[in-house]
Amino acid sequence: MKPVSVSNGNLLGHWRRWAPVVVLLALCILISLFNGNFLTFGNFIRLLNSAAIPIVLCMGATFIILMGSIDLSIEGVVALTAVIVSLLVLNDISPYALSLWAVPIAVAVGGMMGLLNGVLHIKLKTPSFMTTLGVGFAGVGVATTILGGTTVRISDPTFRFLSLGRVLEIPMAVWIAAVAVAVAYVIQERTRLGRWLYAIGTDEMTARHAGIPIERTRILIFGIAGLFYGLGGVLAAAQFGQGHALISQGRLFTTITAVVVGGTALSGGVGSVINSVIGVFIVVVLANGLVLMGVEPYVQQGVQGLLIIAAVALALDRSRLDVVK
Amino acid sequence: MASKKTETVNVNARLNRRTILKGAAALGVFGSSFPMPAIAQETTWTLANSMRSVANPYHASFAKGGADFAKSIGATYETLATEGNSEKGVSDIRALLQRTGGKLILNVDPNDSPDARVIVEEVKKAGGFVVTQWNKPDDLHPWDFDPNYVAHMSFDGVPTAEAIANELFKAFGGEGGIVALGGILSNVPAIERKLGLDNAIAKTNGKVTLLDFQPADWNEQKAFDITQAWLTRFGDQVKGVFAANDGMGMGALEALRQNGLAGKVPVVGIDGIDAAVTAIEAGEFAGTVAWDPIWTGGMGLAIPYAHATGKIDITKEPREHREFYGTGIIVSKDTVADYKNNPPKVDYNDLWGKATGQIQYRS
Repeated sequence: MKPVSVSNGNLLGHWRRWAPVVVLLALCILISLFNGNFLTFGNFIRLLNSAAIPIVLCMGATFIILMGSIDLSIEGVVALTAVIVSLLVLNDISPYALSLWAVPIAVAVGGMMGLLNGVLHIKLKTPSFMTTLGVGFAGVGVATTILGGTTVRISDPTFRFLSLGRVLEIPMAVWIAAVAVAVAYVIQERTRLGRWLYAIGTDEMTARHAGIPIERTRILIFGIAGLFYGLGGVLAAAQFGQGHALISQGRLFTTITAVVVGGTALSGGVGSVINSVIGVFIVVVLANGLVLMGVEPYVQQGVQGLLIIAAVALALDRSRLDVVK
Repeated sequence: MASKKTETVNVNARLNRRTILKGAAALGVFGSSFPMPAIAQETTWTLANSMRSVANPYHASFAKGGADFAKSIGATYETLATEGNSEKGVSDIRALLQRTGGKLILNVDPNDSPDARVIVEEVKKAGGFVVTQWNKPDDLHPWDFDPNYVAHMSFDGVPTAEAIANELFKAFGGEGGIVALGGILSNVPAIERKLGLDNAIAKTNGKVTLLDFQPADWNEQKAFDITQAWLTRFGDQVKGVFAANDGMGMGALEALRQNGLAGKVPVVGIDGIDAAVTAIEAGEFAGTVAWDPIWTGGMGLAIPYAHATGKIDITKEPREHREFYGTGIIVSKDTVADYKNNPPKVDYNDLWGKATGQIQYRS
């Protein structure tokens, strides 16, 4: 599954696999040298809290990127599902009060949008880049039309428990994200679908010759990714206690960055959902750390950009890449 | 010749990519920039409001203000959304000018300051009338484009931010450290609001200190993450949170809630969105500033309409009627009930009733 080039030697291959973890640890050590508060339990919980939603979104995005495709519909799906779930629980606009029953509905809507991505991408033979961009814009458009630019306020304490509740002092959202990671890991490691998506990402022609149902797999994976985005939308609504069309602003960039920083190659076939979890933590710890270290805001973005390039350069095994694009 | 050919190819490639992105943007737009249903036409003028997107509450109300005024005079009205794309904003306006043969009254919040000049020039060329909001270059003035560039309206961020910062200080007893979330660094309102905050802090003679300032780019999520980091860095030194708009304020409030501090550490924002007003009632926000976008949305059409129909001659109006600030309403714990019971009214005949002085240029 993750062949290591012989000429490079096992050692180097081994090191590259662990590079994201090394980067994360190095960051943690560096930041705690500047500010001891970084290593407190309170901050640990806050980091988990900031990481929960990006991790859920990354589970879907990783699958897509492993196939060698890209998914730009994340913000659209999150916006629409957040708005839908907000309108279905106790709120100040619509009469519905389905409480937690609204969750599967919203997640299903996410899945449907994912399937739509997949079907359009496969049946119309359009690049995933354009299809998902279009579906994403449509998602934000529909969310805007539903609410007409207003914000729906959630007043259902049971639903908000999904974000605010604590079990064993860990926020509920973190537990939910952990379950999402477990599910994604099982799909990746223990199902045919998981093996197929690596095969497709590595070399689609070979996979086709091997009899893998490429189109069905692609559509299904887009659908599964949509389910994760839908769950992300639910968590976003629970976190902010409201739904509006702009709730997902900035999510797309964070998600793709985290996946890539974690060591999953945009060219497909290399990486894993666990890599992406590490990637999310690198991004979240970095953002948290720059504030803790008191780095000038003007400098922060530059530092962030440089560190991300450095992390990718370390993590990505380019010895097997014939072309860099 | 050969080199020229290459160049053409390159230009095409660039155009193609841009065109594709623009096309994609349009896909998202059709859901949001739907034209308002036409009603019985009593005037030959077409009215239009142009703004970033109706997905945010401020611009949604701005569009509603325009629609309300158009309805009151029985005119055709359209909402144009730039979706953050200056090119799209200008080309939509150009198309509408063409379609209406120049009989267009436009109330525009330009996507970016430089756009204002292009828009004003296009409208003047076509013989329509335009009012701009918030963004324009400092050296572009309505009186230089008489009579077509009717007016520019804005809100003075400095005194409003100073006033709302004082509400924050009052809420925690006037002594201690605060943290502040700013907007996109290059935005005029972001710069003004920061200046207002700095003024307010300076006037406390060291009683209030600014622990840290971070731009969260008007983004709720970013504000949430930054506020979390602040709680780690400063702990209970944080006595209050100043946010340069309500969206970021809501993000900060939810971060405080996650840490059991909602209602204990006061937050202030600016814009007067519903969620902020509710948070004031709940004692979690110490205040916000309401801009009254229904008024700007309607009045930006009413003033040029009054000129177009001969009720006033805009070229004879004083400069404080051509470039002016609107009134921001401070909503706090003490005034929130009154604000909700008596929402600001719009009187289309009182054209400058809510204007508060000529615009100042600070740089």
